[in-house]
Amino acid sequence: MSEKDIQKKENTAAAERIRNVKTFVPRVDIYETKDALFLVADMPGVDEKAVDVELEKNILTINGRAETEAVKNSSLIYSEYEVGDYERSFTLSDEIDGDKIKATVKNGVLRLELPKAEKVKPKKIQIKAA
Amino acid sequence: MKVKNLLPAISRRNQIEEDHPFYNLQREMNSLFDDFFRGGSLLARGFSSAAEAFFTPHVDVKETEKEFIINAELPGVDEKNVEVTVSDDSVIIKGEKKEEKEDKSKNYYYMERSYGSFHRVIPLNAETESGKAEASFKNGVLNITVPKSATSKVKGTKVPIKSN
Repeated sequence: MSEKDIQKKENTAAAERIRNVKTFVPRVDIYETKDALFLVADMPGVDEKAVDVELEKNILTINGRAETEAVKNSSLIYSEYEVGDYERSFTLSDEIDGDKIKATVKNGVLRLELPKAEKVKPKKIQIKAA
Repeated sequence: MKVKNLLPAISRRNQIEEDHPFYNLQREMNSLFDDFFRGGSLLARGFSSAAEAFFTPHVDVKETEKEFIINAELPGVDEKNVEVTVSDDSVIIKGEKKEEKEDKSKNYYYMERSYGSFHRVIPLNAETESGKAEASFKNGVLNITVPKSATSKVKGTKVPIKSN
C-alpha cells in the first residue's frame, strides 16, 4: 500500500500534548460561496461534545477527541487505523465574523460555516442615471 | 572509481530500481498481478492514482475468546447506505459514501475527502454464528460483533515450534 492510500496522517506538527494519544490530521474540504467559507472535515469517532473550534485573528484551529473503547482480553488480528485525536490549523485570508460561526457534527463529519464579515463581502454599487 | 561500484550487486540493483522509472512501473505491475492471482488483497486497490480518488473504509479487527469485533471508519456515511453481511467465515461491508449535491458556484480550496462505493470482505479465521451478529453505527464508526460458534475451531493446525 503506498503512502498516499493512508487516510489518517499523523500530525507531527501539532503542539506537544499531555494526553497520551496520537494526533491525526483530518481530511478536509474547504469551499467558498458569496457569503461564507465552508469547511468539512472527516473525523470518525468524534461526537459534538468532543470538538473544539477556535478562531484567533485569522488562524482557525479544529480539534477533536475520539475515545477508544478497550475490549478486555482481546487480541488485535487486523489493523488499518488507530484511534486518536484530530488537530489541524488553517490560516484564513478573508475576515470571518467570529460570532456567527456555525458548527455541526454528524456521522463523524464536522461541518463549519464561517460567514464572512460584512465589510469584506463584495458589494454591488448601484449606478444612478445622472 | 566510485565507491558504489565496490558494493555488492544486491545493493546496487536497489539503487538502479529506485532511479529508473521503468523499474517503478514494473514493480507496480508486479504487485497488481500478485494481488490479482492471490485472489485479491484485503484492500480493494487499483492504480495508485485511482485508489486515491475513491473511498475505502479502514478496518480494525479484534478477537476475544468468544467473538470477533470489527470496527470500520465510515465518516459521512449514512447508516442507511451501509450493508453488512455475515457468513460463516467472513464479514462483508458494502455501501456508498455519497457526495453532497454540488453547487457549481462553489469555489474549492481543498478537496481531500473522497467519495464513492466501497466493498470490503473481511475473512475470519474461525467459524461464526452469523445469526447472532450485531452491528451498530456511531459517529461515523461502524461496530460489528460476531460471536464464534460454540463448536468453533480455528481453521488450520497449529504447528509447535521446537527449540534446539
